[in-house]
Amino acid sequence: MAEISWAKPKHLSKPKKTERLKFLLGGGLILASVLYLLVSGTLQGARYFITVDDLLDDGAYQGQTVRISGAVDGESIEYDSENAIIRFEIVNIPGEFDDLASALRAALANPTASRLSILVEDEAIPDLLQHEAQAILTGALGLDGIFRASELLLKCPSRFEETSPEGLIAIPEHN
Amino acid sequence: MLAEIGLASLALALLLALYAVAACLLGARAGRGATLRSGRNAALLTFPATLLATATLVLALMTEQYQMSYVWSVTDPQTPAIYRFTALWGSQRGSLLFWSLLLSLFTFGAISLNWRSEGTLMPYAIATMMATLAFFLGLSLLLENPFQRWWILPDLPESRQVVETALIPPGAIAPLPENLAASATGLNPLLRHFGMIIHPPMLYLGFVGFTIPFAFALAALASGDLSTGWIKATRRWTLIAWIFLGIGLILGGRWAYDVLGWGGYWGWDPVENAAFLPWLVGTAFIHSVMIQEKRGMLKTWNMALVIATFSAVMFGSFATRSGVIESVHSFARSEVGFPMLGFWALMTLIALILLLWRRQRGELRGERQFADILSRETMFVLNNVIFIALFVAIFWGSFGLPIISELFMGVEVTIGAATFEFFVVPLFIAMYILMGIAPLSAWGATSARRLGKAIGIPFSLTILSVMLLMIAGTSALVSILGYGVVLFAGYVALFEIYRGARARQRGLNENWLRAVTALFRRNQRRYGGYIVHLGVTVIGIGVIGSTVFQTEVQHTLARGETIVIEGYGLRYEDYIRAQAVDGRMMNIAELTVLRNGAQVARIRPRVDDYPDMPMTIAGAHSTLENDFYVLLLGGNRERATFRIYINPLVNLVWWGGILLIIGTVIAAYPKVIPARRGRKRGAEDT
Repeated sequence: MAEISWAKPKHLSKPKKTERLKFLLGGGLILASVLYLLVSGTLQGARYFITVDDLLDDGAYQGQTVRISGAVDGESIEYDSENAIIRFEIVNIPGEFDDLASALRAALANPTASRLSILVEDEAIPDLLQHEAQAILTGALGLDGIFRASELLLKCPSRFEETSPEGLIAIPEHN
Repeated sequence: MLAEIGLASLALALLLALYAVAACLLGARAGRGATLRSGRNAALLTFPATLLATATLVLALMTEQYQMSYVWSVTDPQTPAIYRFTALWGSQRGSLLFWSLLLSLFTFGAISLNWRSEGTLMPYAIATMMATLAFFLGLSLLLENPFQRWWILPDLPESRQVVETALIPPGAIAPLPENLAASATGLNPLLRHFGMIIHPPMLYLGFVGFTIPFAFALAALASGDLSTGWIKATRRWTLIAWIFLGIGLILGGRWAYDVLGWGGYWGWDPVENAAFLPWLVGTAFIHSVMIQEKRGMLKTWNMALVIATFSAVMFGSFATRSGVIESVHSFARSEVGFPMLGFWALMTLIALILLLWRRQRGELRGERQFADILSRETMFVLNNVIFIALFVAIFWGSFGLPIISELFMGVEVTIGAATFEFFVVPLFIAMYILMGIAPLSAWGATSARRLGKAIGIPFSLTILSVMLLMIAGTSALVSILGYGVVLFAGYVALFEIYRGARARQRGLNENWLRAVTALFRRNQRRYGGYIVHLGVTVIGIGVIGSTVFQTEVQHTLARGETIVIEGYGLRYEDYIRAQAVDGRMMNIAELTVLRNGAQVARIRPRVDDYPDMPMTIAGAHSTLENDFYVLLLGGNRERATFRIYINPLVNLVWWGGILLIIGTVIAAYPKVIPARRGRKRGAEDT
């Protein structure tokens, strides 16, 4: 503040014991508050991020709010626009893969891969909900075997690996 | 030919950067001026070399050279010219090259401006900047080469005939151009938005810009010149990087709001957060650096902050580009991940070792100690604590918790948007309170009485405003508290500007306009800072309004039917199918927006059918008060379903962003000192 003295009085060059105590107490209080915020928030909001296989294989996850990831089967997508209900199926994506596009394709081509029915209510259908998209969902698996998702995220297709034009490029004729 | 030119210039830039690192380090060690100058010249030349490589890629994009696999993957014959150009940063390879171009440009600028004034620091600063540039150029050349081309090897089995290489393989033939053009991928429709044209370059300018202060800090640690020289040399660079990153974040939010169709602009996604983290540490640094300049304190802390900012940039790049983080925005899994992690760890480690070494030698000891809990330096430190707490909380939720749980529990644990909000809301409240109090406290010492007196008028105005809000019908405690703290910070900024102008007006008999202009001109940094605070206040008002009071409903309407929502009427007029010039079909709903029975706007929400996906484009009627935002979900001429959002005050988020930019430009704008007066005007920055 311009009207308040800018000059630092000489006697203040070393903090008094009481001031030092205030700094220590203040610092401790802030640190404790931030730690409390982090710990309590984490305990309340943490959820497992698992695969479709993990969810279906371990009964302990049933009814629990979890985050799952799977490959979207385009043919299963149903959208009731008037009631804002989205239904589709996702397929388990193998844990280890080199490129996501191939992993999604391979997952959907595998007839033995685990499948999970998804129900999303009161949501507009996202443009990215397409065949071979990666869906990341937050919700819970019900006793009826349907995963009710409260949050649906889809991976931007443009950020997939640049796919190879293999099979699309005809070999030029050689004269 | 274009690919060869691009490759050669990229390789040349890499060699120049490596030479510059070696020459600068050897020159500085041996005290050889000629070697140093040679290193400097090599560093300067990296800019034209990288520019040539980038220009080559742009030319290939503009002239549809689909044999180059990058061009093939991000454009197609229907791509409009503007998106051909912006496709430069549309995917991993092009954006890495663009990153290198910006870094070489920043280096060019830093050398040109600081070579003479910062002789001791420059060799090490150039070496750091060039080492970073060499790393990114190396990634482009070896792992994500934008000049690779499609080739056909007719002698190989059919499944392996198509290869992608930078150099021509023996016996290879080029694919037919028409086949390449027909199969080209094209740019994702979601990225065809003005926000996406400007957002990535702004973000990259911010990210890359923070390399300059880091390079000077590292140079100060390496050379032992630990005076405030490195801070003075990089003050404006820091502000430039900070504002570009800020613009990038705001534009990213605007893109999400316009394109993703969920009525929001920030989803607490790990990639969004990765871009926000360096901005938070950078903001802490911008504030705390003033304490070092004014009081000679916090020398170690400032060094640590500048290292943390660069480290956050590199970590964010790793998180976004490696593909290891599950996010809707991240790039594909790429081989650049491991090298990026290594480079991040190496640079951070070198910087921390140097910092600890200098600190142990007592060379970073502060000139003063904190003496008063209400002093401005204490307030600034508290501000830093809040920003670092925000950084820690967001980092923990985005990366710390998932990584640690995966390592120690074998299963990844994440948190959602609600938990992030639980973390950050109290911290942002504390930030706004400090934003209000800190400018009113004095350096050294302030008595509680004096501070209380200074707070009086802004606090009274805040109470008055909150009472008016309650009379107007705002009853939610959280919004009253939120508006209270945000308005308090804004009133303090306004009051300080008013007080400064009044002092000039009375003391120098100036009129108000002249007094305000002179005030800003004579003390750009302080008053530019207040405009930034006002911008943050306006953003805060917008965020509270658009999150606490958002209305979201869904309705199916028959043609001619009207519904009323929160005082707005919406009438469904018609449904049209039309073809755009690029061939895509558009499904357009014609709607009339009414207010108090009178028509206020015609809006056309639509769904465009692109070959690979639809794209929903909202129709919006925007005023400063509200955004009436409508999505077409489906229908036909007789009936159509709409999702309707009323987002109160959301436009203040963007207007606040503009204020923030104006304030930063004022603060960072070079001071013009009239030469004819023959004396230097003293800086009054606070």
